[in-house]
Amino acid sequence: MIDEQMAVFIGSGLRLAVPIIFAATGEMLSERAGVLNLSLDGMMLMSAFTAALASWATGSPLLGVAAGVLVAMAVAAVQAVLSVTLRANQLVVGIGFNILALGSTTFLYREIFGPLSRDPIPGFAQLNLPWLAHIPVIGPALANQTGLAYVSILMVVVTWLILKYTSFGLAVRAVGEDPRAADKAGISVAKTRYLGVLYAGILAGLGGAFMSVADSNTFTENMTKGAGYLAITAVIFGGWNPWYTLAACLLFGFATALQFLVPALQLDVPVALLLLLPYLLALVAIAGFVGKSRQPSALTIPFERGG
Amino acid sequence: MALLELSGLTKRFGAFTALDDISLLIERGEVHCLLGENGAGKSTLCNLVFGVHRPDAGTMTLGGEPFDPRGPAEALQRGVVMVHQHFSLVPNMSVAENLMLGRASAVLKPQDIIVRMEQLAAEYGLEIDPEARIDELSVGERQRVEIIKCLLGDPQLLVLDEPTAVLQPGEIDALLAICRQVALRGKSVILVTHKLGEISRVADRTTVLRQGRIIETVTMEGADIRSLVRSMVGRDVQSAGSVLAAAVDIEGKTPAKPSDAAGPVSPGEAVLQISDLVYRDPHGVPRLDGLSLTVGTGEIVGIAGVEGNGQTELGLILAGLAAPSAGAIVVGGTQVGGCTPQEITDAGVGIVPEDRHAVACIKELSVAENLFLGAIGKFSRFGLLDKSARRKAAEAMMRDFDVRASSPDVSMASLSGGNQQKAVLARELSLDPLVFLLAAQPTRGLDVGAIEAVYNRIRAARDDGLGVLLISSELEELMAVSDRIAVIYRGKLVGELAAGAFSREAIGAMMSGHAHV
Repeated sequence: MIDEQMAVFIGSGLRLAVPIIFAATGEMLSERAGVLNLSLDGMMLMSAFTAALASWATGSPLLGVAAGVLVAMAVAAVQAVLSVTLRANQLVVGIGFNILALGSTTFLYREIFGPLSRDPIPGFAQLNLPWLAHIPVIGPALANQTGLAYVSILMVVVTWLILKYTSFGLAVRAVGEDPRAADKAGISVAKTRYLGVLYAGILAGLGGAFMSVADSNTFTENMTKGAGYLAITAVIFGGWNPWYTLAACLLFGFATALQFLVPALQLDVPVALLLLLPYLLALVAIAGFVGKSRQPSALTIPFERGG
Repeated sequence: MALLELSGLTKRFGAFTALDDISLLIERGEVHCLLGENGAGKSTLCNLVFGVHRPDAGTMTLGGEPFDPRGPAEALQRGVVMVHQHFSLVPNMSVAENLMLGRASAVLKPQDIIVRMEQLAAEYGLEIDPEARIDELSVGERQRVEIIKCLLGDPQLLVLDEPTAVLQPGEIDALLAICRQVALRGKSVILVTHKLGEISRVADRTTVLRQGRIIETVTMEGADIRSLVRSMVGRDVQSAGSVLAAAVDIEGKTPAKPSDAAGPVSPGEAVLQISDLVYRDPHGVPRLDGLSLTVGTGEIVGIAGVEGNGQTELGLILAGLAAPSAGAIVVGGTQVGGCTPQEITDAGVGIVPEDRHAVACIKELSVAENLFLGAIGKFSRFGLLDKSARRKAAEAMMRDFDVRASSPDVSMASLSGGNQQKAVLARELSLDPLVFLLAAQPTRGLDVGAIEAVYNRIRAARDDGLGVLLISSELEELMAVSDRIAVIYRGKLVGELAAGAFSREAIGAMMSGHAHV
């Protein structure tokens, strides 16, 4: 009984962590290039909605994901124009996008699906990987995930490789740390930052699409519930390192999953408190770690060439 | 045929003309020095050649082809490289990573860079550990990385903007030797400096700039150094007095002690007493390591040292902008270590901070507001500001200290650097009580006239019985003004010389960590 519940808990913890892992990994790279996308949550929400819509319209969840990613990239592109080219305040731009995303998805959802739609939309099936299932305790939880969940871990590896072993990754780190030096080394600061923001957009898009077409197979208003903000927190908590960021995302995922485990174990803890837990953790993480880990020196600072 | 040809280059920043109709030829295989005072347009000229700025008028050709770089990337592509006054290295990356930046293939190949570094080490004697992190290197080593970065691509033209300003004497020699090596291999070097001693040792030709114009270009063989100085400052050498003697530093000779009729008052009781001062920066790196120092009344003590050896931190601590980790600082009997700037001011300490723009004044506010920044209450009646009284007081102070501005109400930003600094000095020297003055890099970025004024103020303060601590990276400045010079190395004082016993060689040796000479 306990084993079974643990398996469910681990499985749901991983599942809940996946969108945050996607978003945080992309955001980590973008922040290493010096651009903070506070609009991450908006990108995810728009992608979740678009993915649901496209999947419902075409019957193909894969097309749904593609559409979601495209929309998130479009948001990212506008964010990049505003914060890189026009040097707008990155925080203000991000907040604006999030409000826009919440308003527009809620409106469109009610217009298109009707106010109380519970119709399931076509989603991905869970893979069943027997070779993973044999691992004790965590095996069943690991084996029964959708393909996108494995992609999220793959993206962490890919992002780590990019940062460590490619000249693009080196350019990203240089641009986020000392854009003037990078510029003088002949690197295009703007281009590098655009690519960084678009990368964050693609991954946030995958994370958002995961929520609607791989996890719940439906769209609900404000379904990200601040997952984008949690992802930004995870980046800080993880000290801008891909692996620590992954760990922070998992922590948030499992903290969220406690709301299923605790009632099942018949412990007397108010559910509302459990719902609050990940956000409380995020707050503690920021308060406790923000001063200690060193953020990229040029984070949120627009670059302007000068003497 | 000349490698680089500039014709009619003009560059304006707003209403200010930084360069005015510059025409110049740079030959292949020559070391060409650009000489001029601060603000003469030397750096702007370099930035045009390197594509950082674009000219408003005029054209350039490189190797006979038109040359109009829209950015550093394009200049690099054409074989023009530049070592900037402020290094362009990413501090938390390794040497190899910095060298790969902007030139690597899709996947990084650190091995290729290391092989190339070994070649350059053999050719020019430029050796450095590829794995070392930039922020762990000394200033001289960082500059070496910059030069290696420039030479990696086998350039045609190497531009060095004030490369020796941050170096200690031994490192300067090595750098000048590298310049000659580069020229010997058929490449051209443009070297910007305001130190004549260096020019006579390395240059084939020298171009003198003043206020954005070329005054003359001379071949160095048989050239008259004195006439170069005259071209540089635009008046006779004598009139600028000790400053020029100091700045010129021909052949590294010690300039004569300024003739100052009153002579230094023999130092009296201790006004500043620092004992066993320790400071660790936020990363835990020790910056000051048991520094002890006494400054008496009526005495100017100079602190010499290569930048980054703790003098900046010492200045910050004395100003109350950083708290010491251990040790005591006593000013006139009051313990001020770790006190707030207000408490330190109340103890009678005047501060001319190193970073004038960030710390000493608020550029957006008016001159009057800046002059009484710490004494706002003085002109307040029933909580309302009495502006006319403040303006009157400000006018008097500006007259006393020769702060030139059209009115006390103009913004601080509209003043020249020299007048800003005079205003800062006016404010600090008008404090009451006042027993001690800290002057950190007080002449950085100022022109000759303003430098002389600052020196005179500092000397006058000393003659009035103040204790003065002068922190400066200009050895000539320290030797011209100080009564005593203490040398800081790795957060400790390693030696001391009294006026009359100053010598560049001795101080230089101590600056590089060699014990007493």
